[in-house]
Amino acid sequence: MSALEDLVEYIAKSLVDDPSQVHVKRRHQGGTVILELHVAPEDAGRVIGKSGRVANAIRSLLRATPSNRDDRVVLKII
Amino acid sequence: MSAEHTIEITGDSVDEAVAKGLAQLGVGPGDVIVEVLEEPSRGMFGLGARPARVRLKLFKPPAPPAAPPPPKPAAKPASKPVDKPAAKAVDRHADDKDAEDTPLLTEMVAVVDESQMVDDARAGRSILMELLGKMGLPEAVVTVYQPLDDDSGEDNPWLLDVSGPNLNALIGRRGETLASLQYITRLIASRELQHRANIVVDVSGYKSRRSQMLRDLANRMANQAVQSNRVVTLEPMPPYERRIIHLTLRSRDDVQTKSVGEGDSRKVTIVPKN
Repeated sequence: MSALEDLVEYIAKSLVDDPSQVHVKRRHQGGTVILELHVAPEDAGRVIGKSGRVANAIRSLLRATPSNRDDRVVLKII
Repeated sequence: MSAEHTIEITGDSVDEAVAKGLAQLGVGPGDVIVEVLEEPSRGMFGLGARPARVRLKLFKPPAPPAAPPPPKPAAKPASKPVDKPAAKAVDRHADDKDAEDTPLLTEMVAVVDESQMVDDARAGRSILMELLGKMGLPEAVVTVYQPLDDDSGEDNPWLLDVSGPNLNALIGRRGETLASLQYITRLIASRELQHRANIVVDVSGYKSRRSQMLRDLANRMANQAVQSNRVVTLEPMPPYERRIIHLTLRSRDDVQTKSVGEGDSRKVTIVPKN
């Protein structure tokens, strides 16, 4: 478990109504790390935000996380 | 503003040019004013492609001891469409709900004792420390500053300043990462508190230095506009930075300010009045 998943999980759990359904999965594809964020369907809007503002803010913090300097990270919300 | 240092740099993208320039000057993104001279153009079929050209102006001498290496340019394709610089008409002075002005850190009082903090500051601080830890920055320190008591009758926000080594990446290009950090911190805090968290997040005094610098810039550029009797256009800025320019120049009766452009490329123009 790396800091990246921890970060996404912490933010998501803090924003949703049903934290028990928050899961983050990590996949690799070429040089790219893909983080899949799963939340309850009713909570999807909370982690995406208006025009994706929340999701984009999370992505921006992921980019600033040192353990991720060299990888490209893609955040998918499912 | 004595020893002003200006360089011009080209690169494949604006981001890249800025990163190169910062490396050359050995400073962070908070230490320069970036002026985009030319957006990159791909040309057609490899013909007529032009690099991005930017001018970096140092507004203070490089940080004395160990200037941390400038952050790598954010790992994203800088494929910002160059399609529509179409100017949109006038907007009001307050053109963003998140707008804010950050007072100088030196004028503020740090609060160490948790019991002296309001709930907003306490919640914001613990959320911020949680985020920083998970972002691999456990050595970062959060200092809480009590709001200045001015006579505006408004509740000024508590300021949470993050300090520590190697935090340039946390500020990001034009403070974008810092804006995200503040957004997420406020969002979580507001949910916990069940009211809007009245806090501002800063990193190493970036915003407060930047707002001082912007006020200086605003006045200098206004003077220039008046002297040359021409419209002066500033570099694109995020909403709260544009607001600082508008507010600074509102009291002057020899110039008028307007924001033009859309989204990321929205910028302030200073128009001489007469």
